Amino acid sequence: MRPVYALGAGAHPWGKWPDKPQVQLAVEAMGAALGDAGIGWPQVEGLVAASSRFEGGMGWGLHANEVVQTVAEQGIPCINVGGACAAGAIALQTAYSLIASGQYDVVAALGAERMPKGFIPRPPGSKDDRTDNDYLRWVAMGATNPAYWAIEARRRQHDHGTSAATLANASVLMRQNASGNRYARYRDPLTADDIAASPMVADPLHLLQICPVSDGAAAVILGSEDFVQKSGKAAVRVAGCAIGSGQFGDPARRIPTIASTVREGVSHTSEVVGAVRRAFEMAGIGPEDVDLLEMADNSAWHILAWPELFGFYEAGKGDWMLDNGHLAIGGKLAVNPSGGFLSFGEATTAQALLQVAEVLWQLRGQAEGHQVQNAKVGMTAVLGLGANGGSIILSR
Amino acid sequence: MTGAELSFVVDGLVEEGADGTHLLGSRCNGCNTLYFPQMASCPNPACQTKVLRPETLPREGTLYSYTIQRYQPPALFRMRNWKPYVLGLVDMGEGVRVMGMLAGVEEDELEIGMSLQVVTEPLFDDPERGAVATYKFAPVGVG
Ligand SMILES: [Zn+2]
Repeated sequence: MRPVYALGAGAHPWGKWPDKPQVQLAVEAMGAALGDAGIGWPQVEGLVAASSRFEGGMGWGLHANEVVQTVAEQGIPCINVGGACAAGAIALQTAYSLIASGQYDVVAALGAERMPKGFIPRPPGSKDDRTDNDYLRWVAMGATNPAYWAIEARRRQHDHGTSAATLANASVLMRQNASGNRYARYRDPLTADDIAASPMVADPLHLLQICPVSDGAAAVILGSEDFVQKSGKAAVRVAGCAIGSGQFGDPARRIPTIASTVREGVSHTSEVVGAVRRAFEMAGIGPEDVDLLEMADNSAWHILAWPELFGFYEAGKGDWMLDNGHLAIGGKLAVNPSGGFLSFGEATTAQALLQVAEVLWQLRGQAEGHQVQNAKVGMTAVLGLGANGGSIILSR
Repeated sequence: MTGAELSFVVDGLVEEGADGTHLLGSRCNGCNTLYFPQMASCPNPACQTKVLRPETLPREGTLYSYTIQRYQPPALFRMRNWKPYVLGLVDMGEGVRVMGMLAGVEEDELEIGMSLQVVTEPLFDDPERGAVATYKFAPVGVG
């Protein structure tokens, strides 16, 4: 396998953009990424799109094809990948493989999303019977996504004594980080009192402790060592890049299932933990080497639990780490210096690519307003429906 | 519960026994793993057989965790006189953990580890089907 480098990244700010079609968000993110990489469309040899379930893609998820037909019809391979909220990581993994294999020298990965209002609807044609978990969870008990995260958070309170104040601190930190990030949608600082005053959604999680949905787009351009040397451009090495699916016996309350059979010794959130472990292995490093972690914080619970699951510190220590400032920018491990999903709102398929963009800018020292000083190694971690996990490590 | 004319939200989730409601799952003939709800195959990668038979779960379990659903879920979920309700995750033994609504327990009585049993309760009324029931978990001696 050949080494692979991140040449550049671009994003469209997160928010609600009713006047911009999804393909427009995609084209703008790609344009920004090309500009960041200092190249143009003619140099792009392949495009991998994380396909949205919600709109665009000619109704068939052909988002990459739609983009090139809009801005650059140049015969390149267009690959469209699924993976729900982890699709961006799967797109990046695909682009990585196309270059590592030696087949191409410059490939872009792209995700763009305009989220529907309110609850995410079930896809048309779903079966209304007990074989469809996403039907069962609604008709039999009305289990919303926040309820799944809340069940994890409540159990953590039981196991580790996590307080409401610590859960609030997670949201306070994310907003504090986002305040300096122009791509984040919610940038006003929050106090613990603001969080406590927001409506309870699913105990112990308040509205300001769960991620909303947003529109957004992000793109990352990868290149081979040959290209980097010939072009003389600065680039950051993709040191680890891995995706995975879930393990039998995983104790996580996996959306949208209504039950699971748990087995001793299987990692919680195994789809993501598996990807993280493989990314570490590929990079030949461990948690102690990582300066910043961009991870999917669908709720305040995730900020506490996920770094523990990845081996950054032992189970239960996340509360102390957070409360003592060790997860802040300038702390031992900066978690989501971007502000995370809690400050962006989730634009599903774009989210994992925004994570990689953020890490790239951090390692270059270009994370204006939220820079982790002297960051050398950054990691991403993301989870998608269907037990999809992804993790990418950039290193300079 | 009356039981007689009650239809269920989805067929094949429960079986009414002489001693009350049981969740209906699957057990694998090959690796002996117990699942809920009934499965199409056995997802244990080490299992070669993957032949399942229906099996009812024990009636009783213990509360592993819970939350209170404060917002009305989307329209697919129907409930008589909607108000916030408790959603629990109940350990039914053999590693099987099942989510479901709780019945007959006040918020301040909730305690992780408490014993619960499966019950059938009407959830909503449908013009064609009449009262439609779901399974819930209730403290032993309730429902
Ligand atoms: Zn089996």
